[in-house]
Amino acid sequence: MATDLVPEVVQPAANSSRPATGPRRRRRTHNLWRYRWLYLLLLPGLAYFLLFKYLPMYGLTIAFKDYVPFLGYSGSEWVGLKHFQELFTGPDFGRLMFNTLLLAVLTVVFVFPAPIVVALLLNELRVNVLKRSVQSLVYIPHFLSWTIVASLTYLLFSVDFGVIANWIHGLVGGQKTDYVAQADWFRPLIVLQLLWKQTGWGTIIYLAALAGVDSQLYEAARVDGAGRWRQFWHITLPAIRPTIVVMAILTSGHLMDSGFEQIWLMTTSLNRDVADVFDTFVYYIGITQGSFSYATAVGLFKGVIGVVLIFGSNFLAKRMGQRGLF
Amino acid sequence: MTISSRRRLAVAAALSTALLVASACSGGGDDKGGQAASTELTVMTKLFGTAPDPNGELQQAVEKLIGKKLKITWVPNAEYGDKANVTLASDNIPDVMAVNEKSPSFVKAAEAGAFWDLTGKLDKYPNLKPANEQTAKNSQTNGKTYGIYRVRPLLRSGIVIRKDWLAKLGLQEPKTVDDLYAIAKAFAEKDPDGNGKKDTYGLIIPKWPGNYASASPYDVVETWFGAPNGWGERDGKLVPGFDTPEFLAANRWLRKWVQEGLVNPDFATLDSANWNDPFVQGKGGMIIDVNVRATQLLDLFKEKNPKDFDKVTLVGNLAGPDGEKHSYPFTGYNDVLAISKQHIRTDEQLDDVLKTLDKLESKEGSILLTNGIEGRNFKVEGEYAVPINQEDPKVKAIQNDVDKAFIQLGTRASVGTGAYQLRPADEASRKMREKFDVLMNEDLKTAVFNPALGFVAPTAVAKGQTIDTIIPDARIKYLSGAITEDQLKAQIKRWYDSGGTDIAKEINDLSAKAGG
Repeated sequence: MATDLVPEVVQPAANSSRPATGPRRRRRTHNLWRYRWLYLLLLPGLAYFLLFKYLPMYGLTIAFKDYVPFLGYSGSEWVGLKHFQELFTGPDFGRLMFNTLLLAVLTVVFVFPAPIVVALLLNELRVNVLKRSVQSLVYIPHFLSWTIVASLTYLLFSVDFGVIANWIHGLVGGQKTDYVAQADWFRPLIVLQLLWKQTGWGTIIYLAALAGVDSQLYEAARVDGAGRWRQFWHITLPAIRPTIVVMAILTSGHLMDSGFEQIWLMTTSLNRDVADVFDTFVYYIGITQGSFSYATAVGLFKGVIGVVLIFGSNFLAKRMGQRGLF
Repeated sequence: MTISSRRRLAVAAALSTALLVASACSGGGDDKGGQAASTELTVMTKLFGTAPDPNGELQQAVEKLIGKKLKITWVPNAEYGDKANVTLASDNIPDVMAVNEKSPSFVKAAEAGAFWDLTGKLDKYPNLKPANEQTAKNSQTNGKTYGIYRVRPLLRSGIVIRKDWLAKLGLQEPKTVDDLYAIAKAFAEKDPDGNGKKDTYGLIIPKWPGNYASASPYDVVETWFGAPNGWGERDGKLVPGFDTPEFLAANRWLRKWVQEGLVNPDFATLDSANWNDPFVQGKGGMIIDVNVRATQLLDLFKEKNPKDFDKVTLVGNLAGPDGEKHSYPFTGYNDVLAISKQHIRTDEQLDDVLKTLDKLESKEGSILLTNGIEGRNFKVEGEYAVPINQEDPKVKAIQNDVDKAFIQLGTRASVGTGAYQLRPADEASRKMREKFDVLMNEDLKTAVFNPALGFVAPTAVAKGQTIDTIIPDARIKYLSGAITEDQLKAQIKRWYDSGGTDIAKEINDLSAKAGG
C-alpha cells in the first residue's frame, strides 16, 4: 500500500522543484530579498527542527547496531536487521501488536468522536454563561497529570475502598469485582480515563470551527423551512467536516502511541497480558533492561507505522473528496 | 514596514536563533579529562527525602575528612534504577556510583570495560576490605568484584502482628505456619477490633515492585515451606525455586488465604508506599516484611495515641508444615559502589579514589555518614547515639542530611547497622530493637541461602526483563484465582521455553566453574 502512495504525495513537491526559467528565477530571488525579514524570522523555527528533530535522528542508527554506551556510536558494531528480526519473530510481537491495535481501534471508535459530539451539544446551548462554564469544566481534567488520574481511578474503583466499586456492588450484589486489577476491565478503564481527561480539551477546536459558521446560513435555512435537525445536517456538519478530517489525519499518526504513562500506571500483574503495548515494551527493554538498540528498533518500527498511517489516511481523505493535510 | 520596525524584527529573529542554539548546545560538555589526581569526586547515590545542600555543614565535614570536594547527584530511591540505567548510557558517568551489580545494563557496561574490576584490589585498604566473606561473594558478578558492597543486616525477615488483637482473642504468638493460618482466620472472622462487624482481614500484602526472589512476602512464605531461596540444589543440579513442589505447596496454601478473605482483597494493586495504612487503620493485623517495619508501625501508633501505642509485636521465621524451620535471609548488602573508568583512567588515579573511599568508610567517616557530627546533632551515651539540639533548624538540616542521604554512601556502616545505634525513644521501641538481633541470630541458624547469588546468566542479561515478569505475574494470577494450578505450571514451563532453560544451564555452569 505504501508504495503506490508515495508518488501521489511526492508529486507536488517534484513539480515545484523543477529548474526555474530565467525570469522566474529572478522573481524568486527578488521575492526572497523582499521578504528577507520574514525569512529571517523563519530561522529559529528551522533551527529548532534541525537541532531537536532531525539531528537526533542520527541516533536511530543504533537500531542497526549492538550499541554499548561505553563504546559510543561509532565504536559499536553494525548488526544489520538483527534487532528487527528478533522483534518480528520474538514471542512478544503478536501480543504487543494486538494490544496496541485494539487500543487504537477503541480510541478511534470511542474517544475520537466524543469531542465532536460534546462540541455539537454545547453549540446548541443558547445560554452563553452556561455554555462557557460547562466548556471550562469539561476541559479542566486535561491539565491533570496521568499520575493523578490513575490515583483517582484507584480511589474510585479499588476493590477494598473504591467508592464507585462499592456503589456498583451495592446495586448489583454478588461477588466484588476488582476493576483496577482484572484483565477484562483494563481496556474499558483506559477508554474511560481517556474520555474523562481528553474530551473537553478536544472540543475547543471544534467549537472554534463552529463559531466560524456564518449565521446568515441558518437564517436562510430557517426561512426555507428547515428544522433544527435539517440545519444541523446541512449546515453545521458540513461546516466542521474539514476540521474533523484534519483531526482524523493527525490522530492516525498517533494511533500506535498508546500513552506510556497511562498504560504503565494501570499495569498490574493480573492485567499485564492485555496491558503490554509497544510504548511500555520500549521502556522495559530500553530503560529497565538497557537494551538500547533493541528498544530503538521497536521505536523505529512504531514510527514507520505512524508515517504510513498518516500518508494513508491523507490519501483516503483526498480520495473521498476532502482536502487533505498536504 | 518602517525601517525601525524592520530592524526590531531582525534583532528579534537573530536573538531567538542565538538563544535556541545556545540552549541546545549547553546540554553536553564540561569534560574534566586530565590525568592528574583530581581534587573533586563525582558521586551518584540514593536519596530518601530532600537533597542535602552541597554547602551544608555535613557535606563540608565529610569533604574535610576525605580531603576532596564532593559533587553528589542525589537520585530519589523510587526512580534510582531507571536513572542509573540512563546514566550508564550517557557520557557522564560519575566516578563513584551506587549500582545494582547484577542489573543487565550494568553488567553490559562493566563487561565492555566501563567500570574498574576491583577483584583482589580491595585488600590493601583496611576499611574497604570485605568484612564478611559470604556477603563479598554474594556481591560479586560471576566471580568479579565490580564494587564495594553497602552492608545491611544479614537477616531482616519477620512477621509484624497486632499484639492487642492477639491478646483480645487469647492467641499465642505463632511458631508454625499452621499457627499463622489460625491467627489470620481469627483476625478475619472473630472481630478482633470489637466493632461487631466482620470488616477485618489477617494479612496485608501490597503490589510487589520486585520480581521473583526479591524478599516479597510470597518469597518468605515459600522459604518456610522448604522451597529454595532463588536457586537451590535438587538432584545435584541448581534449579530455580519456583520449579519445586514446595513452591506450589506454599502458594496453594496462600491461595486458600485469599479465597477465605484472610488477605486484603486489593493485594494485587495496593501501593507498597501505603502498606502501613491498613495496619494502622485497624483493617488488617499482620505484615510479613523486614523487621524495621515493626518499629515504624510502633511510631505510627504512637503518633496516633501517645498514651496507648504498644500494639505491635514481632515474630521471626516460622516452621513449615513438616515441622522443620527454614528462614529467609537477606543478601547482607544492598547495591555496590562501583568506580567508573570514564575519568579515573590510570592505576594511580584508581588508587587515589580508593584511598579517598577508605577514609570515607573509616570509623570516623562512618560516624559522619550514619550518625552525623558529634556534639552538633548527637552525643554518645554508652553504646547509643542520642539526638541533641534537634530544635535548631541548622542541626535539623544535619540530621536530615544523615538520615535521608549520606547514610547511603556508607559501605562499612549503613542503614540498620550504623556506627552508633540510635537510642530508642521509649521502652516499647527499645524492646523491639533488642528483638531484632535476638531473632536474627536465632533465624540465621536455619537460614536458606541462595547459592546462585553471585552469578548472573548471560541469557538473563540479554532478555531478563521480558521473562522476569512471567513467574511473579503467574503467581499473583494463581493466588487471585485467575488461573488454575495447571496453568501456573504451564507458566513455569513458559519461563523455561522463553530462555529459562539457557539460564538454568548457564547458572549451573557458572556455579560449577566457581567450584560451588
